[in-house]
Amino acid sequence: MITKEKVDAYINKIPPAPDALKQTILFLNQGELSKASKSAMQDLALSAYLKDLVNKPIFGFKSKVSDISQIFGILGVEKSQQAVYNYMISLLSPSKWKLFKLTKTSFGDLQAELSVKWQKILEHLNIKNQSLQNSITLLPSSIIVAEALFCEKLDDVALLRSVNEIDLNTILSRLCGMDLFDICERIAQKWEMDDSVAQVLQAASGVKPSDKEMINNLGKWMHLLLFFTLSKPVYIDAELNDFIDFQIDYVEDIYEDFSQLMEIV
Amino acid sequence: MRAVVKNGIGVFHPQGFLDGNASIALLSIEDINATMNSNADIILVSLKKVIFFNRNGLDAFVKMFHKVRTAKHIIVGFCDYDTKKYDAIHKFYKNELTFSLFKTQEIANLFSSGYKNQAKNVLLYSEDKSQRAALAIELHDNGHNPIVTQTKEEFLEKSKADNSYDVIMSESYLGQIGQQVATRVTGNAIIYTLSSFLDAEIGNSFNIAYHNNSLNVGFRLFIFDAYKVVSMNVHALNFFSKLASAAAEYNATISFVGLTFEKTPLAFKETLEDSGIMFFEQMNDILENKELLDELGASSAAGSKTKRPLNKGIVSELPNFIDATVATIEMMTNSQATKDAAKVDKINIENKDNKIASSIGFYGDIDGMVMLVFPLHIAKKSCELLIGEETDDIELILDTLAELVNIVGGKIKTLLSDEHINVNITLPRTYRDIESLLEIAQDKKGVQVDLSFDNDKFLFFLTR
Repeated sequence: MITKEKVDAYINKIPPAPDALKQTILFLNQGELSKASKSAMQDLALSAYLKDLVNKPIFGFKSKVSDISQIFGILGVEKSQQAVYNYMISLLSPSKWKLFKLTKTSFGDLQAELSVKWQKILEHLNIKNQSLQNSITLLPSSIIVAEALFCEKLDDVALLRSVNEIDLNTILSRLCGMDLFDICERIAQKWEMDDSVAQVLQAASGVKPSDKEMINNLGKWMHLLLFFTLSKPVYIDAELNDFIDFQIDYVEDIYEDFSQLMEIV
Repeated sequence: MRAVVKNGIGVFHPQGFLDGNASIALLSIEDINATMNSNADIILVSLKKVIFFNRNGLDAFVKMFHKVRTAKHIIVGFCDYDTKKYDAIHKFYKNELTFSLFKTQEIANLFSSGYKNQAKNVLLYSEDKSQRAALAIELHDNGHNPIVTQTKEEFLEKSKADNSYDVIMSESYLGQIGQQVATRVTGNAIIYTLSSFLDAEIGNSFNIAYHNNSLNVGFRLFIFDAYKVVSMNVHALNFFSKLASAAAEYNATISFVGLTFEKTPLAFKETLEDSGIMFFEQMNDILENKELLDELGASSAAGSKTKRPLNKGIVSELPNFIDATVATIEMMTNSQATKDAAKVDKINIENKDNKIASSIGFYGDIDGMVMLVFPLHIAKKSCELLIGEETDDIELILDTLAELVNIVGGKIKTLLSDEHINVNITLPRTYRDIESLLEIAQDKKGVQVDLSFDNDKFLFFLTR
């Protein structure tokens, strides 16, 4: 169905991050918001993405924001960084989704929703590390990778899953010895993201707990956040709810805390 | 979301947070219809991967339960939960608990016809007296040995010695249950379960097309589990007599187990015996008597009296059959297949050692059967994806091979339906050696295609 060669070819095809993007991130790292907005403006697609993103209801701005320097100003350094990383990930998304019933808009909504909630979680946990804040942006790449690898195999996947409760991550790791999150880690490396970003993501897969306590704890929060988000009707309809297995035992100890924070009654 | 159906048990696996909005999105009308049309005799919703649910979240599934149970009279309910979830469900549905609750799927299996008569020792406790009795009776009826504990203390004390019991059962609840003519396969016998009064209705509830095709695929022993039958009338008698004469053409045996003649005229028994039906008191009289089982089930060498030739309809679909098979094996082994030779003749297997085989029948607009002969190690490799590890357990491999052939069957069904040809598939049958396959296949003419997967020979045979 999917071979190791196919996975390698996919990884090789991942483009390096464009220069304007790299520069924007560099300036954001230095806290230079105005320089960052100038370089962001050079990339028209990025500008359009940012405008679209901040005007989503989840950001809750009353009037439309359209100036890039204004956007960075409103978002602040950390959220601006996340927004730019989200854009980078969206560059990998297909023009037409086949496996998951997503659109450019609904995928953008998912990114925004995860980012905003992640911010809330980190504030709750009192964590101010920039890389850890950015780690959420890599999470949706697992969905993109699953789409890219399995989109030609819709029928096979459906048949396999009609006789066996088996998630895409397990299918891939049994076939190729490498799972969705390993591939996302390769993306992070290629784009020179901080190591901890990929470490949190691997822990968030729910099947590869980290030795480092903080990373593991964040992995649990991210795993639970993912399923909290994917349990919304729009993502269930998009058939995203069971693309990987929810590891309920892994997140059991943080559930109470999580449900209070997200006000689940 | 669709239920995964295995051994007659269909299980839904929702995950994450289950509220009213989520469960409505999870379960479409098509999903419910697909569940109604499945061959499952138990439908369960596993709560294993659900971390949060509320009443609205469960309601969509409960509505489906009602629908399925009304139409099919089968067991429906939730499984895989902890004490907290169990208490919550009880609280939500206090006096309207019409569905069942099974703490684990293993417990639910005990009530399925597919796991009947396995004589499992079950340690049982329920706070509700009438539930305790109902569970014990049902377990006993299904051929298990329930050990009922009357108090929680006694249960906790006894459950410490968990080695003494196969299954420890608590926090479970039996909702209304009913029986239909459920089907399961044990070894190479097909067992139908009957209940209550048998009258003209049996002609509607019994799937005759399925039965005929099982005969055609090579099943030769059909057992009617009639422990729960109260009586039958002359219409049912006629039905079974006809069924027996039809089976005789294939040299197949039909037998009744556990039928009592307290309320059924004894003359019926003689009539049925005259038409060739055998009677046994206990299921184990047949299933544990290997000689008898072989004698009854393997008397297939005579095969079908009326040899059915291949016809144009089926041969013209050959590419679809090959594609479905090749695509499935390629998918499971990640290797490329090449076609070596194709010919129309009787099946010819050169090297018979270390090979296992499987067959699956299809019926509807066209009918026939596909036989697949695997070198053992390809079978093992193909099954790894489903099992997740290498194994030498031949039972497990045969069991998984049946699933794999089921996938092939499913794929054939899809490919044919693209061409507006509607077929249904039978249960797959597996053969642990080539001799047992040849008993069914040696006289049949068909299309044989030799395939190579990375230089391993693999045989495909399509016949009627």
